Amino acid sequence: MTDEKRFSPEAQRYLDGEPTPGLDQSEREAADRFDQVVRDYAANLTAPGVEVDRAVMAAVVPPASSSSAASFWRWLVQPHLFSVRPAVVAAAAIALVAIGALTMDIPGFTAGEQTAGATTDQQQTILVRFELRAPDAAEVTLAGSFNDWSPEGIQLVRNTASGLWTATVPLHPGEHQYLFVIDGSQWIPDPSAHAQVDDGFGQANSVIVVGPRGVVRS
Amino acid sequence: MSEIGSQSDAVLVHRILAGQVEQFEVLVERYRTEFGRYATAMLGGDVDDAADALQDAFIRAYRSLASCRDPERFKAWLFRIVSNQCHNTRRARRGHVSLDRIEEPEDRAATKRVDNTEIGQAIEDALNELTAEQREAFVLKHVEGYSYAEMANLLEVGEDALKMRVHRARDELRRKLEGLR
Repeated sequence: MTDEKRFSPEAQRYLDGEPTPGLDQSEREAADRFDQVVRDYAANLTAPGVEVDRAVMAAVVPPASSSSAASFWRWLVQPHLFSVRPAVVAAAAIALVAIGALTMDIPGFTAGEQTAGATTDQQQTILVRFELRAPDAAEVTLAGSFNDWSPEGIQLVRNTASGLWTATVPLHPGEHQYLFVIDGSQWIPDPSAHAQVDDGFGQANSVIVVGPRGVVRS
Repeated sequence: MSEIGSQSDAVLVHRILAGQVEQFEVLVERYRTEFGRYATAMLGGDVDDAADALQDAFIRAYRSLASCRDPERFKAWLFRIVSNQCHNTRRARRGHVSLDRIEEPEDRAATKRVDNTEIGQAIEDALNELTAEQREAFVLKHVEGYSYAEMANLLEVGEDALKMRVHRARDELRRKLEGLR
């Protein structure tokens, strides 16, 4: 081998599993040593466990409920396959360009991603992602002025092991107040919110302002 | 391909799009281990980061399942989402160090890494210095044990180009490992 720290083309072929009758013995040994080290490394790598399956399915298949909000949410997160005629596609493309022009990312918004939702009947919604890091929590829900402060209304999904809880919620433009509810009893404001207001009971509510073009302030 | 459940990917995709959403769990179970090891290797051996990346990728795949134009090639389609998610996680880690990482006790940090031996660390360091394409090719070849034909099918890249990436990655790793002696 001309370069002690590089494999010769013959040794590379050997490591690729191709026949290499002319491979030098010392090169073969070096390739074998390398192969063994990499095999040991690969054998020690662990794949994430079944907790991923549970978290994914909890996110994509919400628990059965008869409420209209749950039905809407199930419809929202379920993938849909639509068939449309070409003429309809052209009209929809024009409409989407119009929607795209109304939707833009707002620099500094750290609560998460936002996208334009349905815009029928002037009822535009913006998808807002809420995040809370709570590694010790067993359950986190979101309650706010947008769901009549119901702690059961919007469940956050835990990202495995990192302790980050997230939920993506369709909100109408306007100002909304909200709190996170940990384990059904502990109500806390969003530590990443830029604004908190007094709730009239000596505690603070977090504030998010959603404009027709996205989140104005969180 | 090791199969969990008897139905093909394409059949499951069609069922899910028809409303049998619980069938998605079969696909998750089918690819969690295979792509999970890939994610762990791509993310420096950190199983927690790999779990998060994989979870986000599966959820993203589910929500955009209707855009999977060729369900027969669901595996390649899903792999691209997992791969992108891993790259995003790596980019985010470079640009942002969260407080919980800074405050993480040393002993926990040590237990999170699946292989904290000197050689294992050297391999991870060397992998980090490769280009994203070389790292991906090396991991698929040496961690997943794919043939070049399988890699070409998954990545839609020619076999010769993939061989070049793997060969360069090996040389880089060898240099790093030689430095330990």
